[in-house]
Amino acid sequence: MYEEPYRWIEAIGNRRQYLDDQFRQGSPVIGIACDAGILLMTMSKGTPKLYEIYDRLALGGMGHPADLEKLRFNLLEMAHVEGFNRSPADVTGTRMVKYGIAPVIKQAFEEVFKAPFIVKILLAELGQKAGRDRFLTINFDGTFEEKSQCAVLASSAAIEQEMTAYLRQQPVVSLEQAVTAAVYSWAVGDRAQRQVLEESRNQSEGQNAAVRLASDPDLLHEHVRQCMNGLTIECALLDRHMPGASKYRTLEPDELERSLPNVLGRPTT
Amino acid sequence: MGMQGDFYQLLKKQGYVLGVSGEAGAHQQLTTATTILAFKYLDGVLVSGDRRATAGNLVMYDRTDKVLEIDRHSVMAIAGVPATAYEMARILEHSFKYYRRTQLQELSFEGKLRALSKLLKENVPAALAGTGAVAPIFAGYDPEHDAAKIYFYDILGAEFEGVEYAVSGSGSPTIRGILHYVNTWGEQPLSEMPEEQATVQALRLLTSAAEFDSATGGVNRDANLYPVVKFITAAGVRTMPDPQLRSLFEMNVSRGL
Repeated sequence: MYEEPYRWIEAIGNRRQYLDDQFRQGSPVIGIACDAGILLMTMSKGTPKLYEIYDRLALGGMGHPADLEKLRFNLLEMAHVEGFNRSPADVTGTRMVKYGIAPVIKQAFEEVFKAPFIVKILLAELGQKAGRDRFLTINFDGTFEEKSQCAVLASSAAIEQEMTAYLRQQPVVSLEQAVTAAVYSWAVGDRAQRQVLEESRNQSEGQNAAVRLASDPDLLHEHVRQCMNGLTIECALLDRHMPGASKYRTLEPDELERSLPNVLGRPTT
Repeated sequence: MGMQGDFYQLLKKQGYVLGVSGEAGAHQQLTTATTILAFKYLDGVLVSGDRRATAGNLVMYDRTDKVLEIDRHSVMAIAGVPATAYEMARILEHSFKYYRRTQLQELSFEGKLRALSKLLKENVPAALAGTGAVAPIFAGYDPEHDAAKIYFYDILGAEFEGVEYAVSGSGSPTIRGILHYVNTWGEQPLSEMPEEQATVQALRLLTSAAEFDSATGGVNRDANLYPVVKFITAAGVRTMPDPQLRSLFEMNVSRGL
């Protein structure tokens, strides 16, 4: 029945709506550049969502863990074979996305008889020179965008815009400032997602939720504090000053505790 | 599990073949090398190698790096045909990274040793044909046993632990005896020497090897050319910078030359 064009368009529309629904309770992901390198941050329930891909590439993801794992392996295979056959300098985020996983995700999204990838991906690339840091975000339909300074993943484009707007207002130079900005930006996104979810349950409009919530720092504090009871703050750094080729490292619990705002600082895992 | 995390299998799946098994022509002189050594000192393991690559009686290059950092905690020192040895080092480097990134944990030290052994076994046809023989030393920090360790290999892939030291390359017979002597009857065993004293020993050993083996390059102060000296400790791999080597050489080695 999908041979008829309008049926196919309808099926794709349904699929888009289905996928939008899948991300409503996902944990936002934040990537932000600072003096120390590129910080990736999210909060998770134990299953990691931040990964090392190559010497200067790291990945953050939202969505189904099995789909994320499959695409992560695709990226890892591609990056390592390319780095071995050519050079590590030729393994760039743009090439990995444009010629690697974006077409795979798009194809899966448009093949209506097959399951789509339930994922959104943020790929961060630490530049060889200052000011060359890059972020690439890929949506579940394979569309991708390139950004500098910062990038986020959240359940909807509107919430992502609010999180980005919040991030851009924060002074981010040091790692500590980056961690603080990322954690509160995560709270902006997570609160907005919960608000949208709640409002959709009540059959009302939730588009302005993020705008209202982002302006109240006390609420953000409280929200993060509550979430820390059930979730773990996950932070990874593409460390500009790390010796050797591989620049990826996770922030150790004591380093993370030192970097968090005092009101939140406490042992994490 | 299958081949999860195995980079070499991934390469092979794509048609990659390590080494060439054709016979070396009678008149062809392949580039070879070397004197390499590793011994345990007070803080860990010292690995060092000369810088010369030769083809027959020709000196091909005098700035070869034969002590290769494979990852943050392991080093491979190469003796034999550099083309094959460098290729093996590149495969190992990518294999360890690939394993860590796919499996989200470091490959065990034993796993690293086996990876090199497997590559050498794959390379046996080329080694026996005379086009790709490699006899490396692999040293690294084993977090399971909280100790830096030394292993050496023959060209067929057999692996042996160098409990106190290991040597390889054309100049190695000269220094093997010296190492035994110094370690057994010297003022203190190698394993009790602090870093600078261990470095002086390494410089003296390589200078001795160069004296008796034309395929081993010595120190060339005019060209600011010194052996490569690396240390493996719990903190990782570190290279001694040339100015420090120069100073140690001038104070402790050059007086006899």
